[in-house]
Amino acid sequence: MTTELPDRVFEGLRVADFAWVGVGPLVSKYLADHGAEVIRIESSVRPEPLRRAPPFVDDEPGLDNSGYYADFNSSKHCASLNLQHPDGVALAKRIVEHCDIVTESFTPKAMRGWGMTYEDLCEVRPDLIMISMPMYGLTGPWSMWQGYGHVLQAAAGISHLTAYPGEEPIGTGVAYTDFLVPHFAAAALLAALDHRQRTGEGQNIDFGQMEAAIHATETMVLDYTVNGREQIARGAGHEAYHPYNTYQCAPRSGEVGGDDDDRWIAITVTNDAELTALLQVAGHPRWRSLSEDALDAKIAEWTRTQQAEALMQQLQEAGVPAGVVQTPEDLRNDPQLAHRGHFWFLDHPTMGRRAYDGPSFRLSDTPAALTKAAPLLGADNEYVYKDIVGMSEAEYIEHLVSGAFE
Amino acid sequence: MTGSEAAGPLAPFRVLDLTNELGQLAGRMLGDLGAEVIKVEPPGGDQTRFIGPFRGDVVDPEESLHWWTFNTNKLSVTLDLTTAGGQELFGRLLDTADFLLETTPPDAAAAIGLGVESISASHPKLVHTSITPFGRDGPYAHWKATDLVGTAMGGLSSLCGAPGRQPIRPTASQGYAQVSAQAVVGTLIAHYQRTKTGRGQHVDQSMQEAVTFTHDNASPTWDIRGVNNGRPGNGREIGGYKSGQYVYEAADGYVAALSYGGLFGLTARQSIEWLDHHGMARDLTSDEWLAKLDATQGILIPPAGPDADYLNETLVAFCKQFTRAQLVAEAQQIRNGWGIVHTPKDLLENEHLAEREYWQELEHEDGQVTYPGPWAKLSKTPISIRHRAPHVGEHNDYVYGELLGLSGEAITQLENAGTI
Repeated sequence: MTTELPDRVFEGLRVADFAWVGVGPLVSKYLADHGAEVIRIESSVRPEPLRRAPPFVDDEPGLDNSGYYADFNSSKHCASLNLQHPDGVALAKRIVEHCDIVTESFTPKAMRGWGMTYEDLCEVRPDLIMISMPMYGLTGPWSMWQGYGHVLQAAAGISHLTAYPGEEPIGTGVAYTDFLVPHFAAAALLAALDHRQRTGEGQNIDFGQMEAAIHATETMVLDYTVNGREQIARGAGHEAYHPYNTYQCAPRSGEVGGDDDDRWIAITVTNDAELTALLQVAGHPRWRSLSEDALDAKIAEWTRTQQAEALMQQLQEAGVPAGVVQTPEDLRNDPQLAHRGHFWFLDHPTMGRRAYDGPSFRLSDTPAALTKAAPLLGADNEYVYKDIVGMSEAEYIEHLVSGAFE
Repeated sequence: MTGSEAAGPLAPFRVLDLTNELGQLAGRMLGDLGAEVIKVEPPGGDQTRFIGPFRGDVVDPEESLHWWTFNTNKLSVTLDLTTAGGQELFGRLLDTADFLLETTPPDAAAAIGLGVESISASHPKLVHTSITPFGRDGPYAHWKATDLVGTAMGGLSSLCGAPGRQPIRPTASQGYAQVSAQAVVGTLIAHYQRTKTGRGQHVDQSMQEAVTFTHDNASPTWDIRGVNNGRPGNGREIGGYKSGQYVYEAADGYVAALSYGGLFGLTARQSIEWLDHHGMARDLTSDEWLAKLDATQGILIPPAGPDADYLNETLVAFCKQFTRAQLVAEAQQIRNGWGIVHTPKDLLENEHLAEREYWQELEHEDGQVTYPGPWAKLSKTPISIRHRAPHVGEHNDYVYGELLGLSGEAITQLENAGTI
């Protein structure tokens, strides 16, 4: 049933993935979706939190039933291992011995406590590349602090810039940095991999999530260090461009105030030609003389009578950067994303056929291929412990019985 | 740390950077990783030099803080790609390059010598990355997008803002940040393949699609439950379930708390002890409440309805009594991952970042300027922020003279002809 895959970029590369939740699994997903053999190492004693997080198929909570976990873990293997078990650390090192890369995202005390720092693991794998991705880095007074992506967006200054003007800093409605910093971490890891390819030398990467996220705050830092100015959140708006806003459109169906009355369009203008085009589509060239607020109000009044999709088409054809504020449902129906094959549909043993996100870039010769759905917890134990590590059947059974694989 | 120390991992490689604000961070990240990045500007200067804010609010192509932020570690040459002479020179630059990054609209690329097929034919070893709003082909390929249009069409804005109010965006452009950072990943994956085969390839990077994967769990939630996560206001939606509030006002600013049922989802008992220690647990220490909260711990579905409101009121009252530093330090002691909502000033004064020597001073002609430092610490081949953004054409002599071997006379002729 497997069709011929294109040349796989990371064929032959093996990754021991101890990371959890968002950031680490999204880094190793890049590798797995391009052909690396990524082994997630997880335990049922202290399960990966996303396995416990909704959405669950049929609303049935279960470690092998979370769509949240599944989406981040396509194309990967999973070995179960209890690192608290007396044999746990030794077994982990036997896996690492056969791996090129180790990824982890615990607070630093975890790997130190297990004796699994970069220095420790180099003893079993001298050319190892290891990336540690704690919130605040491996050193410093906050290094032992925990957190999640919706907290880190606040710590990095992004929430300060994500609010209605003058109101509390609500931030995005997602664990935002979980979907931002993995790209930086992957870039650092891939560059280290290139260095190893050329020199044979591995290395350790101390990736403090906050330090990467600060690089996504545009001019926030320099405006402060140079001009002494603390930038402020502008809602949907922009400091320099106007109109540049989200405007409510007509309900897709039913009445104003009904269930389907939440359609919005982003309309932005960055130069005079675009303003002319916008006012032409609106049929009101004279709005040009209005104040910014009055123009915004007129546009809002006008869009409220328009269907969002049709208006987007009209504005784009006229050369105005505009787009529907798309919902998750809209994304699944988006013709451009469909053209690019963004969503992959993969069969999972307990969850059935589900949509997975692929990467946002297309490589012309060696594109990504999501080769399988997320792994069941411990699905690949026999493969990992027998075929890779080289355990005999007797030894495997011994560890199974002792609870090392829980 | 300066460039005189160990070189970055990409030190052997050269990048030509023809990006606008959509992709400027991508070139800078490759430069941070040690590559030699040559920004190619039209004579007179790149249009992104006119994006504000400006130092002292003086609108000047050399004073744009946007330019400064995204062009550190880059060199600058001027080149008019609309002329035949310019395109010929560009071809010679490409001969020396390992990477090409550009943000040219797909329908305009061929006219200035940036057609994917022709570049691939003439430079088969090159990794050529096109960063566009929607991708190189497809029904929206010829459409335009600003950052807000990218965050809207990619789905992030539908998850930002409050119910019944307009969708918003992070004011610091995340569509641009996402597309640039993800383009670097695609570029380096293509590069890794090249180390094995010697062949380059084309990387087609879309901003809309880069934003699409910021949905958190919204896509599987639609796929599995047929529910759209929406704009949660001050909180999140996880699997279609609304979390508790997660930003709380402290005595001196704001803190961000765990969102699974506010404070209570993950470590309810410890959290209640914490409140009780300060005499502010109300009746949450009762068996009835503890049983309710214990029930939410196995699965991460937050409590809802009047219970959630009660918990929230308790926390709102609690947080106002203490400073941000005290709240977060105490929360972390019970392994509750709270954080401070930092303003720019807070970050620059932050002790942790100072101890990690994060901030980087760079020399400008008239003094030092503080920049964010390396975004990862690589033990053998460090990332470094080495020098300020270049002036217009600052490196014409180096690039055209040393790299391409043109004589001073030839360079002067190109200048006089308006080619560079």
